[in-house]
Amino acid sequence: MTATLEERPAAPENAGGKPAIDKAEGWRRRGPLLPALIFTIIVTQIPFILTLYYSLQSWNLVRPGSQEFVWFSNYGDVFADSQFRTVALNTVIMTLGSVLIAVVLGLLLALLLNRQFAGRGIVRTLLITPFLITPVAAALLWKTVLLDPTLGLINFVLTPFGGSGTEWISQFPLASVMAALIWQWTPFMMLLLLAGLQSMPTDQLEAARVDGASAWSTFRELTLPHLRRFIELGVVLGTIYLVNIFDQVYMMTQGGPGVASANLPFYIYQRAFLGFDIGQSAAMGVVVVILTLIAANFALRLIFRSFSGEQEAA
Amino acid sequence: MAEVVFDQASRIYTPGAKPAVDRLDLTVADGDLVVLVGPSGSGKSTALRMLAGLEPIDAGSVRIDGRDVVDVPSKDRDIAMVFQNYALYPSKTVAENMAFPLKMRGMDKDERAQRVRQAAEMLGLTEYLDRKPKALSGGQRQRVAMGRAIVREPQVFLMDEPLSNLDAKMRVQTRAQIAEMQNRLEVSTVYVTHDQVEAMTMGDKVAVLANGQLQQYATPPELYDRPKNAFVAGFIGSPAMNLLDLPRSSSGVTLGGVEIPLPRDVSDAAGSRDKLTIGIRPEDWVLESTDADSSTVVKAVVDVVEELGSESYLYAHLADDTSTSVVVRGPGRVKVRFGDPIAVRPNPDALHVFDAETGERLP
Repeated sequence: MTATLEERPAAPENAGGKPAIDKAEGWRRRGPLLPALIFTIIVTQIPFILTLYYSLQSWNLVRPGSQEFVWFSNYGDVFADSQFRTVALNTVIMTLGSVLIAVVLGLLLALLLNRQFAGRGIVRTLLITPFLITPVAAALLWKTVLLDPTLGLINFVLTPFGGSGTEWISQFPLASVMAALIWQWTPFMMLLLLAGLQSMPTDQLEAARVDGASAWSTFRELTLPHLRRFIELGVVLGTIYLVNIFDQVYMMTQGGPGVASANLPFYIYQRAFLGFDIGQSAAMGVVVVILTLIAANFALRLIFRSFSGEQEAA
Repeated sequence: MAEVVFDQASRIYTPGAKPAVDRLDLTVADGDLVVLVGPSGSGKSTALRMLAGLEPIDAGSVRIDGRDVVDVPSKDRDIAMVFQNYALYPSKTVAENMAFPLKMRGMDKDERAQRVRQAAEMLGLTEYLDRKPKALSGGQRQRVAMGRAIVREPQVFLMDEPLSNLDAKMRVQTRAQIAEMQNRLEVSTVYVTHDQVEAMTMGDKVAVLANGQLQQYATPPELYDRPKNAFVAGFIGSPAMNLLDLPRSSSGVTLGGVEIPLPRDVSDAAGSRDKLTIGIRPEDWVLESTDADSSTVVKAVVDVVEELGSESYLYAHLADDTSTSVVVRGPGRVKVRFGDPIAVRPNPDALHVFDAETGERLP
């Protein structure tokens, strides 16, 4: 024991796995973190527990005094609700579709920006701009400036080709929302993948040149495997953010027509604050949290695995 | 199997500035191993990369087997290169790494596998074929990089400091392996290193570069025995040759009050110069008794003694000129210590004489 302490005076806790610092010292060290911990618990866990409680109640705000305990009947209603299933599917399409398309576009732009050309700095700045715009402003921009059937730029451009008069937002509501999301998220993917491309060791690329690899083979055999973990990170981060997206749906389509472009956050919002059905929207919230936890668990495990440094090899 | 010729080949990074490689003329005979050696920034790696097609050739030409390759892309030059950091493909296994150049030429799978197996056997890599590079030691990675070059059966091997990331013991071992393998395969090889021991032990011929210019291109013994200028003299040999700027006297030069006679042809070539650079290798000093007459021996004071077992090196400064230091080789066991006086005499037959201004060898 003494010998161990002498060898490693900086980490005495490691000796025998028993904390060597006394209790008071432990409080002194960790005490300052306590307010933050309490605050986090208050703002995340208490609402969640209340939501669990509400989800077991039948409670509609427009009928005062209607609140009663109904066990799991709200959950039964959620799974019986065909709109909920449509909206869940919308959410998957909207999230994964936008993320995957944004990754592909981001990859193409990153490959472009990874080359030397005149005006690269300006092009790069312009390409990043969509990411810096407030989501609400971006949604308005798409709704009015680009997609408006009479005043929108897209129909104006399409007029010579006979494509004018398309009611983009009512005819293709989900695609319109996704277009706005992809436009905002492509720059993020581009930056991430550009960082990945620039961390590619040049000697591997030179070795591939000497080994006779064409540009396409180099990309497929070397660059893409190198970018794998950056792509995974982009997909996971994009998914985490986009699964919760609200602004674009609210601003562009209000989830409509019907629930054609609604996603789960928007649908829950509708049921709670427009339908005033607190019990059922709480149950939906709980279901969504559980599904998200399952999905996030797999996704996070994926990125932790790829970023644990196992890929680093000279 | 091919002859490689650099013909006035130059690499100019910025027009008007000094070229990184300045009108290099070099011929690598078929099957030879030629070492490019020089200090950092001498242009040795750039010259190799010009041959590899990784740097453009801005002037002059480079020919492989008689074919001018200035406008030929890397992949069509029929060369294989071993990089300093090995440049293995981290996402591929050892076997896939070695098969990669073959796959890129469209060789069918069975033949690829067979060639990889042969090379792996030769390099002792058979049991690692399914591993990823990250699971290999430095020496094994180095061998995989060699294997990737060998399977190609190229006309020329290019090696860019392939041993510099290995530890000292591994380096000596791998050095011998590479030399042996190159002899067996008889493939012309251009080998870049900053380590003059590698250069002297491995090269059939050695090209010494400095500041982008070729200083001397010769066999290792010739480089050692007849360095063409003071730079080569000081660069080749360890510890380095003593290079002393000495004033002329009637029959030679004077060092610490001692007259060192110069051979007739040297003093004729020296003409009326009043100063010469004299090169004396550490082993070309004769240790004399300190009682000897000070007109025949140079008196010095020892600063450091390095005992290597079979020999020792005495770092000393002249007794009457503390700014002039010399290195003297002595026997394995010497009694002198820091501060002790010694007396030395240069072996007159082993002197190297250079012009003090230009550094060129005389005659």
